[in-house]
Amino acid sequence: MVEIVFLIPFFTGIVAFFLPKTAGRMLLVLTGAVHLLLSILLWITRPAALFNAYFAVTPEGLLSLLVISLLFFLISIYTTGYLEKADIRSEHVFTGSMLLFLSTMTMVTLSDHIMVMWIAIEATTLASAPLIYTHRSAASLEATWKYVLICSVGIALALLGSVLITVSMDVGGVDVPVAFSALTGVAERLDPFWLKTGFVFILVGYGTKMGLAPMHTWLPDAHSEAPSPASALLSGVLLNCAYLGIFKTNKIMHAAGLADFSGTILIVFGLASILAAATYILKQTEYKRLLAYSSIENMGIIAFGTGIGGLGAYGAVLCLIHHSLIKSSLFLSSGNLLLGYGNRLIEGTGRMAKLMPRTFVAFFGGFAAISGFPPFGIFIGELFIIIGAFKAGSYVAIGLFLLSICVIFAGFAGHVMKISYGDGDATIQMEEKPAMVWPQYALLLTSLLLCFWMPDTFYQTIMHAVNSIGGGF
Amino acid sequence: MIHPVDTLLTLVLLSVLFSFGSSRLPALIKTVAFQGIVVSIVPFFIGHDMTAGGVAFTVVTLLIRGIIIPLLIYLAIKKVAIRREVEPIVGYHASLLGGLVLIVAAIFVSPKFNLPLASENALLLPTAITLLVAGMFLLMARRNAIAMVLGYIILENGIYLVGTGFSVRAHHIVEFGILLDVLAGVMIMAVILQNIKQAFDDVDTALLRTLKE
Repeated sequence: MVEIVFLIPFFTGIVAFFLPKTAGRMLLVLTGAVHLLLSILLWITRPAALFNAYFAVTPEGLLSLLVISLLFFLISIYTTGYLEKADIRSEHVFTGSMLLFLSTMTMVTLSDHIMVMWIAIEATTLASAPLIYTHRSAASLEATWKYVLICSVGIALALLGSVLITVSMDVGGVDVPVAFSALTGVAERLDPFWLKTGFVFILVGYGTKMGLAPMHTWLPDAHSEAPSPASALLSGVLLNCAYLGIFKTNKIMHAAGLADFSGTILIVFGLASILAAATYILKQTEYKRLLAYSSIENMGIIAFGTGIGGLGAYGAVLCLIHHSLIKSSLFLSSGNLLLGYGNRLIEGTGRMAKLMPRTFVAFFGGFAAISGFPPFGIFIGELFIIIGAFKAGSYVAIGLFLLSICVIFAGFAGHVMKISYGDGDATIQMEEKPAMVWPQYALLLTSLLLCFWMPDTFYQTIMHAVNSIGGGF
Repeated sequence: MIHPVDTLLTLVLLSVLFSFGSSRLPALIKTVAFQGIVVSIVPFFIGHDMTAGGVAFTVVTLLIRGIIIPLLIYLAIKKVAIRREVEPIVGYHASLLGGLVLIVAAIFVSPKFNLPLASENALLLPTAITLLVAGMFLLMARRNAIAMVLGYIILENGIYLVGTGFSVRAHHIVEFGILLDVLAGVMIMAVILQNIKQAFDDVDTALLRTLKE
């Protein structure tokens, strides 16, 4: 019974709303551990869903699910330490929302029905809105408002796109369940005009949630105003969930022989996001916004790679997994920075290498990994994307891609140097407890490990997922 | 003979024009409530056979779209007693003229889509397009946060019309899930509205400009 994986966090989430203040912390870790176990069990047994019209276990879903599970477990350990230090007034709302958020994201990875997918993705927006408003400041209120309104409107367009795909079934005279798996099988008989229109709306809709430019405006606000464990979830896995919606629709497009059409649009949106990130990253003054723009860049890279296809699509999935691991580790470290310096501005930090050596190792390592230094996975992923793009002969796109990545690296490096070695008279108000640094190390080490040794079943699953959108060697 | 659906849809089109011309929030909320009710009863008059479940679902839709959602927003503004103007970026006269042009354009382009069900109800597709664009327009052309939420609801009404009018295959349980999401979304927006009002003493979104780049 597959559904239990998202039902457990759903119920514990509701329970957490009524628990006394600190009891929620243990529940968070406990649910995280159970969820991780169930996900691994799902990988091994691959059972069929009870409501198989709505849910199914797919390779791309399994990949995302395992990433979500692992991240949530490690983040929940960090959260126990974070909540002791941070001053959060209504902690039960925070833990409850975290668990509901986990439940809705898990539901996204298991959805097979187009509309259920939409319901789950919209539910992630609703479950995560209270997380962004945790600090109850005017700025976090503004961030929450933008997040809920822009994402709801964006996702409403994805609903329209989903409806248009059912129209393409009517026009094409196809009578199958409205599920991604069933539609991929009969894609050739769907009406191409309505399928294309539906894809564009879905891409714009879920693209809003994924943070693709020019619909990304909510993302830096939301990711910087949320408490760091929530930011790590938002940036690390929520963006993947939105991508999953696009990925599955792209699968239908590919099966229908419209891969050129969907690929071109993905490349355009991907490049736009990378360029937008390159423009804004240089003049950032806050380190959490810096990380948020880096997420926009990476989502751009992933969309770009998916659009290129072939080797590029394989690289995109690698980037997707490694970005989750690395970016969540960076956001957790930024939580230590915020608690330590008590200041969200880059100006207010400095001498991190000396003052917070353990956090420094995690933060600097994360920076090297996310900028695409070997031997981390982003390097391999980007390399595959570039080779794939050369093979496809899109030279202008590669030029823009490389130029923007260089600019982003330069900007990012400058800021990180200032935080790590810059002189300032800042003092530190926290000690680095093990629970607040080891999760970051674990995330980075997992990313490192996956570059040198990937379990065969893991590799097969990636290949299986990528083959369906025309990727692979 | 004029089909009853077309009469209903004419009312929806009128409500769009009304919402473009309203300067005061209570009037705008009433217009959107009226529109929600009319849009929800359209399935009764479209050719599909109604099962008992279908009837029950339509009634629930009517309750949520036409009564609960507008009531939520009405209570949200009543509780905090905010200024009642919608603070337009595009003026009312220009909005009205734009609305008329929009309806004409929607009627003009609709036949070109060649949809199977569109021939029976000539106004269905034009109304759906008008609602979609009108919702987007209110989202962009009004600075008042409540007017923006109402724009979102109009957009949702448009999508609902496309869904019920042109695709007959969605299960009610799934549609109910969608409806629940929309309801929860509006509830969260109403809570945020109250907090915005308390924090800024107004719901003018021009005040929400501290986070940039």
